[in-house]
Formats: sequence, C-alpha cells, structure tokens
Amino acid sequence: MDSEQQSATLSALARVRENAFFVLELDIACSRMEMERQAQKLLAMLELGLSSATTYSTPVGTGIRDADKVRLASARLRDPEKRLEEELWARIAKAEKPPPDPDADLGLEDLPKKPRPDAPWPNALPAFGWGRK
Amino acid sequence: MLRSVSVRPQYVGIDLGTTNSTAAVFDGDKVTLVRNAQGGSLTPSVVRIDARGNVTVGDRARRFLESDPQNTRSELKRLMGTAEQVEFVAARVKKKPEEVAAEVLKSLRADVKEHLGFVPANAVIAVPALFEIPQSSATSEAARLAGFERVELIQEPVASALAAGWSAEDTSGAWLVYDLGGGTFDVSLLETRDGLLRVVGHDGDNFLGGRDFDWAIVDHVLRETSSAAGCTLSRADAALGPSLRKLKSVVEEAKIELTRAQEATIILPAAFEIGGRTIDVDVHITRDILNGLTAPLVDRSIDVCKRLVKAHGLTLDQIGRVVLVGGPTVMPGLRSRVKEALGAPFSEGLDPMTLVAQGAALYAATAGLDARPASAPEAAAHKLWLQYPAMTSDLTPHVVGRIAEGSGSKPAGLGKPVARSVRISRADGGFQTQDISLDGDGAFVALVELQTRRPNVFKVELFDGATERKPVPCSPSTFTIVQGLTIGDPPLSRTIGVALADDTVRVYFERGAPLPARRTFMHQTVETIARIQGQSPPILKIPIVQGELSRAHLCRLVGTLEIPGNGITATLPAGSQIELTLELDRGGHLSARAFIPALSQVFEKVAHLLVPDASPEVLTKSIADLRSRMGTLRVEATRRNSPNALGRLTFVECAIAEAERDVEAAKGGDADAAQKARRSLIDAEAILDEQDSEKKWPELDHEARLSLSAAASFVSEYGTKAEQKLLQEATDSVERARKDRDAVELERQLRVVRNLTHAAFNRHPESTKWLFEDAASELDRATDLVRAKKLVDDGRRAIDRNDMPALRTIVRELQKLMPADVRERQRGYESGVR
Repeated sequence: MDSEQQSATLSALARVRENAFFVLELDIACSRMEMERQAQKLLAMLELGLSSATTYSTPVGTGIRDADKVRLASARLRDPEKRLEEELWARIAKAEKPPPDPDADLGLEDLPKKPRPDAPWPNALPAFGWGRK
Repeated sequence: MLRSVSVRPQYVGIDLGTTNSTAAVFDGDKVTLVRNAQGGSLTPSVVRIDARGNVTVGDRARRFLESDPQNTRSELKRLMGTAEQVEFVAARVKKKPEEVAAEVLKSLRADVKEHLGFVPANAVIAVPALFEIPQSSATSEAARLAGFERVELIQEPVASALAAGWSAEDTSGAWLVYDLGGGTFDVSLLETRDGLLRVVGHDGDNFLGGRDFDWAIVDHVLRETSSAAGCTLSRADAALGPSLRKLKSVVEEAKIELTRAQEATIILPAAFEIGGRTIDVDVHITRDILNGLTAPLVDRSIDVCKRLVKAHGLTLDQIGRVVLVGGPTVMPGLRSRVKEALGAPFSEGLDPMTLVAQGAALYAATAGLDARPASAPEAAAHKLWLQYPAMTSDLTPHVVGRIAEGSGSKPAGLGKPVARSVRISRADGGFQTQDISLDGDGAFVALVELQTRRPNVFKVELFDGATERKPVPCSPSTFTIVQGLTIGDPPLSRTIGVALADDTVRVYFERGAPLPARRTFMHQTVETIARIQGQSPPILKIPIVQGELSRAHLCRLVGTLEIPGNGITATLPAGSQIELTLELDRGGHLSARAFIPALSQVFEKVAHLLVPDASPEVLTKSIADLRSRMGTLRVEATRRNSPNALGRLTFVECAIAEAERDVEAAKGGDADAAQKARRSLIDAEAILDEQDSEKKWPELDHEARLSLSAAASFVSEYGTKAEQKLLQEATDSVERARKDRDAVELERQLRVVRNLTHAAFNRHPESTKWLFEDAASELDRATDLVRAKKLVDDGRRAIDRNDMPALRTIVRELQKLMPADVRERQRGYESGVR
C-alpha cells in the first residue's frame, strides 16, 4: 500500500469510527426524536458510570464513547447538512466494510495520533522561507 | 410568612437587564412572574449605597438617580467583566461591577423567597448571546456573591425562543428572535419542529440598545438647544454630567410617551449653566423626528438580521416568525421598519419585557436546576442516582438509575436490605413499568410515558429479591418530568483560540461548536522562563482571544493565562511543551488548565478574565492613527479608482466618527461608552488591514506567482495524486482571486498551496538537510546559543552517518530555539507560546 492509500484509509477509518450514527448506535433512518431520546439515554448512562455505555461497535471495530462524543454526534445529526454527510459515510461503511484497522479496538481517536506518512512537518514552513517576516 | 417547601420542583429564571431586571418561576405547569416589594415585575437595575452603607435596589434607588448620582448607579451590565471600579462617594466604597450587580440579584432572590416560601438555591441567569467570556464570568461571580449555590447562564435569545415556543400553538419553521435590550442587541435564528428547538446561529451588536436611542435623542436636543441659546452644549463636557443625566431621564420618558402619542415636548427648566447663564431645554419632538433619529440604529439591527439569515443559507421569505424582545421593540417606528425589512409576522401576545426571564425559568427546567434546597436522604434508605430529562418534548423518555450503595448482588449498607428490582409508576395511575431487574452494577434503564404539556410526577419503588417481594426504602422516591420542549446544546457565538507569538491564532473552538466543549493542544514556549523568587518575576503569557479573524491582534483579548517565574519549580527552557486545555460550559463560562510536562506542574484557573481597559487618551490616539491610515488608503483607492475600497473606507469613517462621539462621552465619565469605542476601533482596524492587503496587491500577486511555480515543481514530482488534484483546484481558486483582486481570498488559497508544497517538499530525499542548513545559518539568533550550537554539531554528525530521523528531530529542536518576531509578538498580545 503506498502512502497515499495509507493516509486515505486512515482518514476513512477515523470518519467511520467517529460516525454519529455509530456513536449513538442508531439506524440511518431514525427520526430526530429517536436521536434525541437515544442521546439522552446514553448521556444519562455515562453520567452514572454504566460500563455498558462506554463502548460502541462500528464496521471497523469498537469505539470508546464519552459524553463529549455523544454531544458532538447529536449536534451533527441535528444539523440537516451534517446529518446528510454522516448518512453518506454510514452507508458507505455498511456497504463496503473497510479493511480492519489494527488499532480499531483500542479507540484510536483517544490515543496520540500516529504521524501520517505524508503529513507536513509543522515547522518546515518558516524554515523553508515562507511566513518569515 | 414562609410557606412549606413545594413538593413540586420549582425553577427560577432571572433576566439581569441593563435597565430592568426580572425573575420568573416555573413549576412545571405554568410560568409566573415574581413581584417585587412594590408589586411590579420589573425591578430597575439601580443600586444606591448611602453614607451609612445602607444598600437600596430597584424603584427606591432609581428615585435618587438624578438627585444623587454619586451614590446611585445604573446600567452596570455594560461594565461587567471590566476593571472599572464603581464608586459610592458618601459610603467611601468602590466596588467591582459584579459586586454591584450582586446587589440586584440579592434583591430578586429575596423577592423569589417571598414568592416561593424558601430561599432559592439555584437559578438560571440570561446573558446576551454575544457577551464576551469575561462578561459571562463576571455574571456568574455576581450570582455567587448574591448567595446562589449553583447558577447556569443562558443566552437571552435562546431564553426568549423557549418562552415563545412554550406558548406557541404551532412550533415549526425558522424563527428569528430580535432582542433589543437597554444596552445590547442580539438576534438568533432558530429551527423549531415538534417541540424540538435548535439554535442555528447568533449574531448581534454588544453595544446597540435602547440606551443608544436615548443618546441619539439627547444629541438632537443638545443641538436644538445650542442653536436656540447660541452656545455649544456637548456630551464631552464633564461639567454637564449631572444635567445630562437629568436630560436623559426626561428624554427617556418622552421616548416612551411617543409610543402612544404622535408628539411630545421635552422641557427641563434651567437645565444647564454656561458662563453664569442658565439655559432651559424646551424642544418639541414628533414621532417622525424620533423615527428619523433612531432609523440608523434600527437599520444597524436589521443589517445584523440579514447577515445572520444569509450566513445560514436562508432568505428572508423563509423566516416563519419574528419574536420581538426588549423594551425598545414596543416603539411603533421600530416595529414598522423591522416588519417592512424582514417581512415575517411577529409573534403576538408575548410580553417583550419579561420574555427572557420566563424563558430562563423554562431553561432551568430543561437543565434540571431545581431551586429547592437539597433535602437530606433518609438514613435507612438506599441512595438512588437518577438521570432523566427534567423537561423534554419526548413523550417516552428514558430514566436511568443506579443505587449508590448496597446494590444488586453486593452487600447493602448496615441494616439495609438488598434491592433486586425497581418499578416506576406515574402519580396519576396512568402508567407503570413492569418490575425491572437491577443489573450487576445496581443500575436500570426504563422508558416512561408522559402526559403532554404538564408536570408528570413519578414514584420509584425498589424491591428485595425474596419470593414475597418486599419494598426497600429509597431516596429520592419521586421525580418529576415536564413534557414540553427539548433544546439542543447551545452553539458558541464567537470562535475562541489562543494568540500565538507570531500574531496568529490557534483555534480551540469554532463559532457554532456545541456547548459544553473541551479541547487540548500542545504549545511550545518561545523563550526561557527563569525560576525567580521576588517582586517581578518573568511571566509566561498565554492570551485567549475571541473573534473570527486569523491575526490575533484583530481578535478580542478576553483573558490571559499567566505562569509566573516564581510559581514554577525549575527554570523552563525555550521550546518547552505546555499542554493547554480550555473548557467551556453551556453558558459560555471558560476554564483553563495548563500542564507543563517537564516540571509535572499544573496551573489551573489561571485565566485572568478581564475586558481590557479603554482610557480616553489611548482611544484618542488610536483614532488619530486610524484616521491617518485611512487618509493614505483613500488617496490610493482614489488613484486606483476602486469604488469597492472607497465604500469600505466610508464605512470605516462612519465607525470612527461614532467612536469619536463615544470617546467624548467617555471623557465625560461614561466608562461604558469607552468600551464601546474600543470595540468599534478594533473592527475598524480590521477593515483597514484588509484594505492594506489590497494596497500590497502587486507584492501579493508576485508572491502568488512564485508560490504557484514552486508548488507546480514540487507537487508534480513528489506530491500524491490527491495532492496534485487539490493543487489544481487551489491553482484555479488562486487565479480567480487574482482576477477579482480579492486579497483575503488570495491569501487563504495561498495557504493551501503552501501546505501542499510543504508536504511534497518534505518527501524530497534532501529536504531535511536543506532545512537543517537553513536553521543552522540562523544560529546567532537562537534564544539558547549553547544548546543551539550543540544541536548543530549533533546535526552535522547525523548527516555524516546519514541518520535522517535523528536529523529531523534536531531540526525540530533548532526551530523551537528561534526567537519570535518582536513586533508580531507585541501584536499577538505578548504571547509566550507558539
């Protein structure tokens, strides 16, 4: 796999793992009220420290859930445009199961990110002569 | 006489207004306005402290506003969060604005106590959506000083929408909440559907309100009186201060009169004394004159509404309803002008003066902020933790519970039986769950059914595991859910970030982010902070800014995290890591935490939240500088024949003229006007900076061509296919921006181009060596010369053994030792991090 494919796969995996429908464990066709109800239930369970609410499954492995993630997912599904985007990614993930990610069950999003092979080095810009006044 | 504490939850909402304050109570069924000692629901936000230190609030204090202004203070809301001291001369005390506001809150709290029969422990206070962080923080502090145990803040337009939504028959469509208060203007766009409310976005003007209407009339009266008397009367004359306050009060009465009558006369005998001559005020004013005087201010508010609607991809004809809030919205001229401009019908039957307080009380219910003091659990009962929505539009919400001790299969506390199952039943007998077994953690999840638009009281029963089930006592044994509205997490109204030493901003929270929110980023110090004990140790400053522009100095400084040299356990070298976490609650209250890994030290609550000072002298100098810059830019824009630029400069000129009027008022002792001028001048400067970019067009254009050329070479050879495609798109956008001479867009697109080039450049096998040589050539500029020299030596050795990973680390370390540009750092609020 070349670096371009690798980075694209990592990005797609992250998008699937963070997908609001998977975070909230909801069907793509759920109503707004069902979404609010589910978010309320999950936030309540997390507040009381119920272990059954702390993880969720996605086509690319298990994710780790916290209250921030539930609130962000709810906010995305309340916004019609963002919901469409989430629907698209959830459909793609369900239709074509992406290759398994070795870090999937570790909740990659909560761990320090691996450097992307093609990621720009943050300090190169000034050293390259740009941005220096 | 005190009544017993209510069996139902009671929710308290407060509108701490610029002119008047109001409290409301919601009992799950209806919202009631709290009457003050005088029997009114509006308590003037006026505080008086006499020579003996006695504090008077409200109507009784207001009577002294004209006769004893040295000891009677009003309109404090606009000073919240500033360092301005409010002086009460006779009592010889100076207080912070939040301390004075706390007196108003204490008074309202006492009124609520009379109303409910108990002292409310918790409340929701409404604040303008565009309040900056220090202002929100000061409001929370005022509530704490007033004795509230827990307080949540709500944005005023959200409160208004909740109140309007609660009483509306049809709750669908897009709503605009137009909230013009005494000192601030807020507008919010809401989406409503089946009782679900979502705040789509906010906009507003923190310094536009009824007070500005009053001053516009005062200015007119001064012009008329000056003309008639052959003298010059100006708000800048500090000696006229007491007379102006009297005049403003009379003007306010005339403004109110003109909501009913077509004309009014402003009469104030011997209003002024100039050169030993007394001057009377006798000015006839018609509703048409009033409308003419206030039209520019109303138009300003309409422009903000249009901007908000457009920003969210809507058109005005898609707005289903406009909710008017605030005293000035009763003015007929304003109503007709707003209706004509926005087109949508107004919500009828709502009281614009008290809607905010009503909504705040409703919000307290959605947040479960019961005002009743917490009752002690029965000793013999199991303590039950319950989570449920105190108010929801859902007819079948979840209730989640967990036994805090002695639960499930685990042993109970001493003498307590073991609970195995739970049953929830509605008090009216219309609904009951089956027996639900508790899981291994002693927890359960249940769905309950609600009756619409009313408080639903539920009873919780625990049972043991014996064959003949026996009830097990629990506390609480009842809870209430109100079926009504659900409101989504409120969005952040302005982007929040940290100013960096190069005058850029590291964004932590984007505008529109749902609250609450928390984010952590790693920064590096730009210089060594020595550990020094004593009077003036070096200080590491981390400025927090609010605003939408990419340059830090064009955003508003809302607080600074300071880490002093005498607070650290060892000297902190340049390039040290600082892990910074910013957290915002639902009301926009900010907290901060800085962790220094090298020292294992944590600095919490280090944010000094303060709106910066605005002295008239500094403001006058800023105005002179801006005028000078504007003159140069105008000459150039005329030479270039750029109508667009000339239009923007005219806008700046108007803003500066208004700021000048405010600075004059500030010289007369109006600290609030000084703050307004400070903000206006920051906005004006941002526009001039934009125009400056336009001036630098040839340079920028040349830079664009160079950047595209470098990008084409690197990205075509070392870029991925995706990067090449992105570069093509960015190149097209650059060309469009060049064609349109759009400097801001061109700079934005060039950032994309450079990032792509940068990524491709790093894949060149020699790139690390080039970067190393570039850094090594700047060795003499390093903040720690000894360390930098050692790194350069290490780098040379790494090149000799062709160890590129080690060389990359060395280059990164060398970069951290490069000093920040002094001028940029000054502009970036002296930030000590990058």
